[in-house]
Amino acid sequence: MDVRSQISMVFHLDKCIGCHTCSIACKNIWTDRKGAEYMWWNNVETKPGTGYPTKWEDQEIYKGGWEKNMGKVRLKGSGKAKSLLNIFHNPHLPVIDDYYEPFTYKYLNLIESPEEDTQVTARPVSMITGKPIDIKMGPNWDDDLSGTPDFARNDPNFKNLSAGEQEAMFQLERMAMFYLPRICNHCLNPACVGACPSRAIYKRGEDGIVLINQNVCRAWRMCVSACPYKKSYYNWETGKSEKCILCYPRLESGQAPACMHSCVGRIRYLGVMLYDASQIEAVAASDDEDLIKRQLDMILDPFDPKVIASAKKNGIADSTLKAAQDSPTYKFVKEWGMALPLHPEFRTMPMLFYVPPLLPVMASLTSNDVEAQKGTLNPISKFWERATKYDATIDTIFGTVDDARMPLKYLANLFTNGDEELMKITLKKLMAVRLHRRDVTVGDLNKEMVAQSLEEVGLDTEMADAIYYLTSLAKFDDRFVIPAAHREQAIEMSEFTGDRKGSAGFGFTEHPARGL
Amino acid sequence: MNGKTLISILLIFFLFLSTTMYAQDGENLFKSKCAACHKTSSKRAIGPGLANVHKKYSKKWFKSFVSSSQALVKSGDADAIKIFEEYNKTVMPDQELSDAELNALFDYIKSANPVATGADTDQVAEEKIVPFEPTKEDILIGQNLFSGKQIFQNEGPSCISCHDIRYDAIIAGGGLAMELTDSYDRLKKEGLEGIITGLPFPQMKVSYQNHQITEEETTQLIAFLKEVSEQRYYQLGLTSYKNTLLIWGIMGAIVLMGIFPIFWYKRKKESVNKRIYERQIKSRN
Repeated sequence: MDVRSQISMVFHLDKCIGCHTCSIACKNIWTDRKGAEYMWWNNVETKPGTGYPTKWEDQEIYKGGWEKNMGKVRLKGSGKAKSLLNIFHNPHLPVIDDYYEPFTYKYLNLIESPEEDTQVTARPVSMITGKPIDIKMGPNWDDDLSGTPDFARNDPNFKNLSAGEQEAMFQLERMAMFYLPRICNHCLNPACVGACPSRAIYKRGEDGIVLINQNVCRAWRMCVSACPYKKSYYNWETGKSEKCILCYPRLESGQAPACMHSCVGRIRYLGVMLYDASQIEAVAASDDEDLIKRQLDMILDPFDPKVIASAKKNGIADSTLKAAQDSPTYKFVKEWGMALPLHPEFRTMPMLFYVPPLLPVMASLTSNDVEAQKGTLNPISKFWERATKYDATIDTIFGTVDDARMPLKYLANLFTNGDEELMKITLKKLMAVRLHRRDVTVGDLNKEMVAQSLEEVGLDTEMADAIYYLTSLAKFDDRFVIPAAHREQAIEMSEFTGDRKGSAGFGFTEHPARGL
Repeated sequence: MNGKTLISILLIFFLFLSTTMYAQDGENLFKSKCAACHKTSSKRAIGPGLANVHKKYSKKWFKSFVSSSQALVKSGDADAIKIFEEYNKTVMPDQELSDAELNALFDYIKSANPVATGADTDQVAEEKIVPFEPTKEDILIGQNLFSGKQIFQNEGPSCISCHDIRYDAIIAGGGLAMELTDSYDRLKKEGLEGIITGLPFPQMKVSYQNHQITEEETTQLIAFLKEVSEQRYYQLGLTSYKNTLLIWGIMGAIVLMGIFPIFWYKRKKESVNKRIYERQIKSRN
């Protein structure tokens, strides 16, 4: 057993309101620079939709991630031989049009223009060429299902969905959507690290954050095409690739990453998880249907004395172990089994988990007695004359899960590699907690039915209350359990801590060197 | 001692040198600079025999021809053009000689042949030409020396590094110096000997001055050049890369351009959004 610690994340999709505050917080801190204008280390997508860059999930286009080949896990688009063949032209690389051409407006026109007969306008200009452009695309161009024929209908997750099922999703009355915020998953088996010919990308030992060394990067851009989530970006100004750094300078000083700190819906959770690194290769090469189960099995119980002993042998600090025991992500992912990785079939073993959205599933359409409604209104009042109504009430346990507006198969393609049963159980857990809380607070439900619902998904009232607490009431320190960084121990491996302390503040980030 | 005195001393020294020493210098100069191609008699070598030069031409004309024969030809001088045409347009290399040296040369040629008569030319015609019949071994050694397969005794550079030749047994040579395929026809044994031993060309002089080609090697080289000259119409000329390289290069490029698209047939050829973008533009118009 080779125990290591990993900072992992959980995003609760039911709580996301799609406000993009996370994206802006990240942009302001990290990517508001020349060459990085088009980068969104954090972005929020509407699902169904094609996302950013367009169709990033379609690995037949971008050839990202790993694939199982003759019992072993291999990079889909790169690797030694393929990289050598494509070393001067990487054919799978997304072009700027796959993202969007970053733009701003000439706001100064509005202030500095002399008096004229016509209204002064702030023309859009490209942030790459500096010339006026027609804006064709943005990072969330398909927000809230806009441009559905072009974007939502081309969602790569519709694979395995019959034409009828797809069509049903876009009937006006049934149409449903949810938001999918994405950052770097800080995977256990990162394809970007595997693909880098310069070995510039590494997974930080103490917390598993994946970083690109800007001094070593040689702009091969193999990480850009290799990352199946397209979360490594090439900075055309510096000639280096960049990616989400999980705000490690903030984490080291005990603050939550900017996107998480600023989250309005408080959908984000962050905590330590311990895992067995010796299994990575075998798990990454496991069969499609076992992928999620084996990845979750790799995550170890932080209360197990054997795990603790083994972790200490690997130099994991007591404070980190304590953080792992209090970790909200461990609870969501392992204890309650409610959070799932995004696209586990890419075999990178992402450490960002999503609690799937229940709302588009739960609400259904029932017939509406239009005549009866008319009777309650005076003639002038307007009323909805549709014979259907949006209905979130429950008649039978989990009745709506089976009869969801959003096909389970679609959600399963996103989070469980097509495993509808696993998706159904996860959604039922969410539903059971709601039934339980409604019973507690309103008390209008059949007690037997509520108890039965909890039992069916393997929860008890205590757990349901804990889930409710962490979902709805959790304070900052409950949502973000950040371990002490112990940088001094990490530094000890490469340099003398006394020197580091003594030179802090003077040539700390860039060491002054002798000579010109 | 200041600068002025130094300069005047040096000036006096050089004046003294050039005025008093030129008489015996003429002979040395002729031997080192001219003898490779010219004889003081009226006998023709690579260039014309120089007897009677002082009678035929003025001293001034002589000096300007020696300094730069081509300049004179280009200026349209009738005599210069006549000589140039007569000697198959073989260019006489320019000689960087001072005025005093040129005077000395002229005087030497004049004194070396005090009584030259018109009978000289007849004498040349009567002179029996000894046929040059090299052995096969000589030709082969000459070929090896030329191509650098066998190094010169005094370690001079092989001929092929600067000279090209049309001969199938040898790959293409350098393009710095003359093409030597028909050199034997043009210059004959005496002419070639003169060039190889006399080194009249500046670049050859630099290369071989301290690495003289021996007499035996000279004969072997000439033997080879004779063979080349005689066999030149029977050569296929395939070893010259001039056009072959270009043709093969173009053919190779075409083949590769055919192969690459097959290899990368399934590559991502355009932006995923191309269709949407094009439609946007269409609707705007």
